[in-house]
Amino acid sequence: MAAQPRPSIFMGGLLARKAVAATEKKTPASWLTTLLPVIVIAVLLLLLPTFVPSYIQSLVTKMMIFALFGVSMNVLWGLGGIPTFGHAAFFGFGGYCCGILIVHGGISNFWVNLVLAILLTALLAAGLGVPAFRVYGVGASDNPIYFLLVTLAFGELLVRVAISARSLTGGSTGLAGIPYPQLGIPGVTINSQSFYFLVFGIVVVCLLLIYRLYNSHFGYAMRGIHDNERRMQALGFNTWLYKYTSYIIAGAFGGIAGVLFAYFGGVMVPGNMGMAMTDIVFLIVILGSASVYLGPIVGAVVVVGVEYIASLYVPDRWPLIMGAIIVFVIMVIPQGIGVLLLNLWRRVIRGSAA
Amino acid sequence: MAALLEVRGLSVHFGGLAAVKDVTFDIEQGERLAMIGPNGAGKTTLFNLLTGQLKPSGGTVKFKGKDITHAAVYARTQLGIARSFQITSLFPNETVRVNALIGLQGTRAGRYRVWGVFSKDKALRAEAQKLLESIELWDKRDETVSSLAYGEQRKLEMGLSLASDPELLLLDEPSCGLTPTESADITSRIRDLGSKITVLMIAHDMDLVFGVAERIILLHYGEISAEGTCDEIRANQTVKDIYMGSHKHKTRDA
Repeated sequence: MAAQPRPSIFMGGLLARKAVAATEKKTPASWLTTLLPVIVIAVLLLLLPTFVPSYIQSLVTKMMIFALFGVSMNVLWGLGGIPTFGHAAFFGFGGYCCGILIVHGGISNFWVNLVLAILLTALLAAGLGVPAFRVYGVGASDNPIYFLLVTLAFGELLVRVAISARSLTGGSTGLAGIPYPQLGIPGVTINSQSFYFLVFGIVVVCLLLIYRLYNSHFGYAMRGIHDNERRMQALGFNTWLYKYTSYIIAGAFGGIAGVLFAYFGGVMVPGNMGMAMTDIVFLIVILGSASVYLGPIVGAVVVVGVEYIASLYVPDRWPLIMGAIIVFVIMVIPQGIGVLLLNLWRRVIRGSAA
Repeated sequence: MAALLEVRGLSVHFGGLAAVKDVTFDIEQGERLAMIGPNGAGKTTLFNLLTGQLKPSGGTVKFKGKDITHAAVYARTQLGIARSFQITSLFPNETVRVNALIGLQGTRAGRYRVWGVFSKDKALRAEAQKLLESIELWDKRDETVSSLAYGEQRKLEMGLSLASDPELLLLDEPSCGLTPTESADITSRIRDLGSKITVLMIAHDMDLVFGVAERIILLHYGEISAEGTCDEIRANQTVKDIYMGSHKHKTRDA
């Protein structure tokens, strides 16, 4: 009776998936069996550029950026149980900050750009978080629809601003002319291959930081809020502050993904802050399992991969294909591919141990 | 000395319905106070006013002389008020130990840390062991809470209420749904809490009420309609009429 799925009017069973995954979490895997696939994937990613053509390398770069984007959204959704329709706002805003600083601000140093973009995105999240959480209510017992609508509106608002402020953002055609980053290290110039490694490094560092967050005191408080916010308040936790802080943290990491994306494409368009981009990150998290930390990474690989293939054969039909995938996943594997893979891996371990 | 909790003229209205009307009472330090009343009398609503889940329409609540009428739920817990819930309110997907750890963390320093590993916090783990041993759930520490038996979940519910080291403990039907044996166990636990913890509890179980309470408040239609010691309440005609049931009521029901 205590494990009731949270009520949700149109998200279906998506938000209740954590319960499914957690009951399957029983076999404690040793750190080696947990770490092994991660290390193998990391090594493969490091070796990859030496033996794949450059378009694959560029595809994997995009996958890594979107993996970070998805995991950053999951700080809110998977960890805290707070679904948002406006996460792309931070992604796009971070990218625009970076682009505007380069094109109009004349700041070419990558690290300065990155830090400024993170700070500005966090500031934006801090500003938007106040009104957004006024309508959020207390956890599962309240309907998240108002929060979803408010965050959706923020994203669309930023899209309008980006279209209107033409002198700064380039209007609806977007902000072009973002070159590969300059690291400020003498003798190091970034080309598409070294950019791949730069993205790899930054994404890995961010994922490790978020992983630490998941297992920290703060992270467990967020899990508690996910499961039972009223009890958390009764235990003495200022749950508003936790939700608000995690909104800022998620926004900041989303901003980092946006900065990398701006450098990756060399252009930012207003749509990067709006519903279209939120749809993609939503799909990444749903597909990959919100309840599994690494889930959105799997989701990013699948979504970006399918998008690439779709763009080769049926470029106009990508939204249709994306919609079909969402319906398919919700109906066939509502718990997401991440949970599926995790269970498979556990079976492999158990099989080898027996 | 002023009372630990002073409630003055507390009211709350839901639209036209006055769920709690002009309630005034004190709880002294170390007291065991029970609140009884028929279903819908406003007992849990009054609890929610005292713990801050609901905002009152009028009146004041003072705890240790400090006005907390409009304080947030978590702020009251920090001051030393804790509650249990009538409907078991735990973290069903986590283990028993993690439940205890989260419960303890609420009022202890370091709860905003983003770097340390929570499940390896030594000080917290030691406290969690003590807490779980005191409610006899240490052997079940690695089990997921949703897989516990109901009686065990109720014990953990009480354990979590005690995790914040409260001075005032508000128990909402602590024996709700338990077997007579389990209920007797809870009764003796509440009795053994010690004089540092003041208890206000809602209960329908008369064995629990008379076994624990020193003073009883009867709530009826949101108002205090009787107040006194166990013996006084037993003898009180109003109590007999509206709570224990009388002929007048039976005929009206029929």
